[in-house]
Amino acid sequence: MAILGKTHGRLFLSPLAAFLLLFLGFPALVNLVYSVSTVSFETLRSPTLSGFGNYLTVVRDGEFWRAFGFSLRFGLLTALAECLLGLFLAVFLAPLLSKRPILLAPLMLPLMVAPAMVGLMYRLVLHEFAGPVPYYLFEWFGDSPAFLDPQTAFWTLAVVEVLQWTPFAFLLFYAAYLAIPDALREAAALDGAGAWKILRFIELPLMMPTLVIAFFIRFIDGFRVFDNIYALTGAGAGGSTTSLSMFIYQAFFKEGAIGKAVAASVILFIASLLFLMSLNRLARLRRR
Amino acid sequence: MKRTKITLALAALLASAALPAQAKVTVLGWPGGSEETALRAAVEAYNKAPDTSENDKVELLFFNREGFYDKLQADMAAGSDAFDANLVATYSIGRYAPYMEPVDLGPDAAKVFGDTVLKTMQFDGKQYGVPTDLSLHFMYYRKDLIDALMRDDEAKAKYKEIAKAELGKDLEPKDPDSWTWDDWAATTLYFSKGVNRSSPVRYGTVLQMKNLLFNMMVFQSLPRSYGGDWTDASGAVTVDSPAYRTGLELYKKLYDAGASPRDSLSYEYAETNAAFASGQAATALQWNAAAADLTSAEKSPTVADVTGIVAPPAGPNGRADHIHGLGLGINKNGKNKEGAAKFLRWLATEDAALLYARNGGSPALTPEVVAKVAKERPDLVKLGEFAGKYGYVMTGATSANALSVYELQAKEFTGYWSGQQDLDTALSKTKSGMQDLLKK
Amino acid sequence: MVAVLRWIVFAVAAFAMNFPVIVTLVTSFKSARELSSNPGLTVSAPTLANYASVLAETERFNIYNYLLNSLVASLLGTGIAIVLTLPAAYAVARSEVGQRLLLPLVINLRALPLVIFAIPLYMMYQWLGLLDTRLGLGLILAIVNIPLALVILVNAVNDISPELDEAAMMDGASPLRVMFSIVRPVIRPALVTTFIFGFITAWNEFLFGLMLTTANAVPTTVGASFFFAASGGGVQWGTASAVMILGALPPALLGLIMYRQISGSMTAGALKG
Repeated sequence: MAILGKTHGRLFLSPLAAFLLLFLGFPALVNLVYSVSTVSFETLRSPTLSGFGNYLTVVRDGEFWRAFGFSLRFGLLTALAECLLGLFLAVFLAPLLSKRPILLAPLMLPLMVAPAMVGLMYRLVLHEFAGPVPYYLFEWFGDSPAFLDPQTAFWTLAVVEVLQWTPFAFLLFYAAYLAIPDALREAAALDGAGAWKILRFIELPLMMPTLVIAFFIRFIDGFRVFDNIYALTGAGAGGSTTSLSMFIYQAFFKEGAIGKAVAASVILFIASLLFLMSLNRLARLRRR
Repeated sequence: MKRTKITLALAALLASAALPAQAKVTVLGWPGGSEETALRAAVEAYNKAPDTSENDKVELLFFNREGFYDKLQADMAAGSDAFDANLVATYSIGRYAPYMEPVDLGPDAAKVFGDTVLKTMQFDGKQYGVPTDLSLHFMYYRKDLIDALMRDDEAKAKYKEIAKAELGKDLEPKDPDSWTWDDWAATTLYFSKGVNRSSPVRYGTVLQMKNLLFNMMVFQSLPRSYGGDWTDASGAVTVDSPAYRTGLELYKKLYDAGASPRDSLSYEYAETNAAFASGQAATALQWNAAAADLTSAEKSPTVADVTGIVAPPAGPNGRADHIHGLGLGINKNGKNKEGAAKFLRWLATEDAALLYARNGGSPALTPEVVAKVAKERPDLVKLGEFAGKYGYVMTGATSANALSVYELQAKEFTGYWSGQQDLDTALSKTKSGMQDLLKK
Repeated sequence: MVAVLRWIVFAVAAFAMNFPVIVTLVTSFKSARELSSNPGLTVSAPTLANYASVLAETERFNIYNYLLNSLVASLLGTGIAIVLTLPAAYAVARSEVGQRLLLPLVINLRALPLVIFAIPLYMMYQWLGLLDTRLGLGLILAIVNIPLALVILVNAVNDISPELDEAAMMDGASPLRVMFSIVRPVIRPALVTTFIFGFITAWNEFLFGLMLTTANAVPTTVGASFFFAASGGGVQWGTASAVMILGALPPALLGLIMYRQISGSMTAGALKG
């Protein structure tokens, strides 16, 4: 059934595996040691083994779970919004874009600007006195809401993220949409199917793998959101916008709690590995 | 064929990674702003001096300012020898001291900077650096608004009414230089549209309340003037004192009353400057570095002519002004530590300090020395005066974990200000965290 | 009617998604004076001073060098990632090895905050002499790019009907040859997509650029703030905007060139049916 034998398969995998092992093998090993050690920046080269205390600290830390919850919520919400918007744009604008492909350019542009810098720019954009958004709101409506107080910060950050990354989902969907042979659509149209039915029963099923993958990638990226939060709220009042990446970063650099930061990453790594592996198994079971 | 060419070109690019002219002494400075300009001028003069040998010429290095300390931390902890002298600050000296070497600045240093200022660069009783720039806070206020208030009896009555209603105190408008924190609070409330519809500006002040360690430095002069400190003499953490309570409550009260912009919980230095410069805020407690921008007709045309500067208001214990020094010290793993020490000793001489001041730096100098640049840099006189009279460093604020203490306070205090936890919870969490951090 | 609606949707989407870019562009033409007095999207007295100050300060901070560093490191980072990932993706899609462990393991790298590798990597680079080199930065960027590349390429190979390479192998072609001559041309759209996304990601990477370079190999994202930091934690918004626009030009140009490739290859993809 498999086209490639196991030997060849391994051979083809080996360059990638070797490269990763070479570059991440040592750091991963060091990190594993750190995660069961008492270690600080002064003792990087001489950590003292101390058992699983770091893991316990992390699991018992309410902040860790709060950050986990924030990341999960943020990742799911933004991935969903980005995929829905991206899908809508790809399907609805396809007739326009296929005639004038140059119009793709402005829709790709947001991806080109460094996320770290976009976060910085939003500090200006949303500023009550120097930013264009509040300026026009005051001009037109006489008032402007708070964008980054604890009640609204989550939504502001989510909107910023969605605006920035919808183009990513859109591009993947547009490619998948164009890859659907016109013959299929024409055949369905001949059978009397309307545009809606063609979308529902022909196009969407064909695009499904891409949809799943785009959602998955966007979820991961949303889950580990860092740049915008760092620039805009600095984890937020009382840590209210701490994502898991932010939590680990702060533990690492701000608290100098290297063991705790690494232990949290190992937990994250194992949890998502188990999740991915079971997802994989499920997919393969279904295929059979 | 084409592919080979590309490969070759790529290889050439890789190989051409521009090597710097073999630097003799590499100094890592603070990028951007006046500190950099001044340091460049000083280095130029030093390199030109006849008694600077070829091997001791200084070359400058700068990192990105975003993430500067994280990068420095990684470099030093891993024992980098990429620089011989590096930037230190009062609040981070305890963290970096293990990777640095003490430096002997010579007997004249005390005459130039004075002992208080030299102390901002000491850890465990040893001198780790030359104090190049001093940072503290000014109370910036709008002269035009305060003058108008003082002239107008109706406004004065309104002011009294607001002070009574909001703060429960009988207060009258006063000259900013004699403000207590209560006077300042009443003034900010009076000048806020949320409290006083007829206020000529939108907000009475701009509080920096982002979850960021530097904002805690701006804040802590308020509890300090009520007698607050991190620990008492025996080392017991005293952050849950009435002084801290008063300060924290006042900030919350002003924020909740709408005396500061709604997004204040995400404000830091740049936001506060922009808000004050827009002409929509009556006062702002802000770093001295902002004085240049806020009084420049080019950069802040709206407020440049009407911006007044005084020291922070007084509490029962008088006035207090947070000070910290930025300076340069020696990297233990540097390749030319002797050359670096020579440069630092030169930097601590009167001539060098004056040169540094004339080129835009902000050194804190003794009254005798600062008099020599008073004409060009009147702000330095104010800086030296405030530092000498009101300057303080919290007990424990130079220890190894000082930065982490600020981080912790930033998180817990902003949590209280935003209403996510009550004052007791915030203070008890801060206290227990600080006990852990200050133990060593 | 629908056509008009499409135009409207396009305009709204393009405006909203590009809003920060538009603001940045407008701000880059404002003087410091105008910035503090006019927050709107109009410029009353446009100036090129911000760009001039960025481009002129080559003696202090060399933007050309930063751009070159970013270019070399990003090309390396993307190239290495694709060269390594293509055979791996082929193996994952067409053989029975790799799906169970390697694939999830690699994808997982994207979910991790890579900052935890910063310190051990720093020490390793110190030892290998890769600190502050374009090659060193490029190798790390390859690691950053590999997960996404693998996902896209596995998906692309999976989309090809297996009969195609089966037939070729029947004719006696070696697996390597099949991958290179049969599969590679068919998944060209995916390769182009991977390259674009990879290049953009590499170009915009900040953390490792900050940690692993000091003077010689500093990339644009890291070099940027040299130009716009003001005293005491301030930001010179005008200069910052100019740096950002200059820094975004290379990936934007690449995108523009590649969009033809994308749309062209999409039609090619459509033929495969």
